[in-house]
Amino acid sequence: MTLTEFHSQLDNILELPSGTIKGDEGLENLPAWDSLAVLSFIAMADEKLKVQFSARDIAACTTVADLARLAGDRIS
Amino acid sequence: MNHPYSLSGKRILVTGASGGLGRAIATLAAQMGAVVVVHGRNAEKCQETLRSLAGSGHSMAVCDLLGGDLSGWMKSLAGDGGPLHGLVHAAGIQIVRPLRVLDERVLNETMASNVTTALMLTKAFRQRDVCAGGGSVVWLSSVMALTGQPGQAAYSASKGALVSMCRSLALELSAERIRINCLAPGLVDAGMGGRLRDCLPPDRFDAAAAMHPLGLGKPEHVAGPAVFLLSDAAAWITGTTLTVDGGYCAH
Repeated sequence: MTLTEFHSQLDNILELPSGTIKGDEGLENLPAWDSLAVLSFIAMADEKLKVQFSARDIAACTTVADLARLAGDRIS
Repeated sequence: MNHPYSLSGKRILVTGASGGLGRAIATLAAQMGAVVVVHGRNAEKCQETLRSLAGSGHSMAVCDLLGGDLSGWMKSLAGDGGPLHGLVHAAGIQIVRPLRVLDERVLNETMASNVTTALMLTKAFRQRDVCAGGGSVVWLSSVMALTGQPGQAAYSASKGALVSMCRSLALELSAERIRINCLAPGLVDAGMGGRLRDCLPPDRFDAAAAMHPLGLGKPEHVAGPAVFLLSDAAAWITGTTLTVDGGYCAH
């Protein structure tokens, strides 16, 4: 998955217009980043990146860039 | 042992017995005198369960419950070791998916793994060559059949289906002296419940845990009620769902 596609997945999860997430956002500045969004992100990573994150992994992230770094080489 | 709670003289198949609630049920059933058939998908974990059981005569059977000939499989289990007096269906899956990311594939997979297997196993159990002229079937449902949580729509649908199906089947199978009941456990901090701790945000898990007045459950808390339903002490109980939840549903 490319970084652009990753941001697009986040747009879907947060139910934002396509192209909203640019990658430099702080998660606490995204009103829709709630526990349902966290669950949805974990589900997306499982299905599309084939990686299982725990809620603890996500809790350690404070920015969208942190989430992308978590995915490591699964994002090109 | 010669009292109504004993399982002495009974042969019980427990699915999903490679860990969690299934393993605890198999363990207590053996302690209560049952001969247990340990089922799971992981041979090594089934072997661990088998080795830990009190008594003798137990066996294991490793297979996927979907897509195969369950009727033939259960006939061969009965042919090899004798008829079955009870079936506990503890195998199942829980995929947490808020609606925005829930798709038909996950819903279908959940329903197949949790509901289709229950029905097909029970269909296989009632064969004349399999069950010993009656018996007790126990399906592991969940409090998620009776109440809800975000992200649990697919799981709730599957566990709710068990509660409903159980009632119709109880009426249908009573003439065959087969009782069928559901258990609805609350959050148990082991097995599937333990894995839930990993995928739920900490505040959500803690909130769910706090809703259990008696605290989070242990597998043995569910094993006792399962063994009770298998026993002759539950001879007049069928078509019901026994909630075993530390008070969660009392809210």
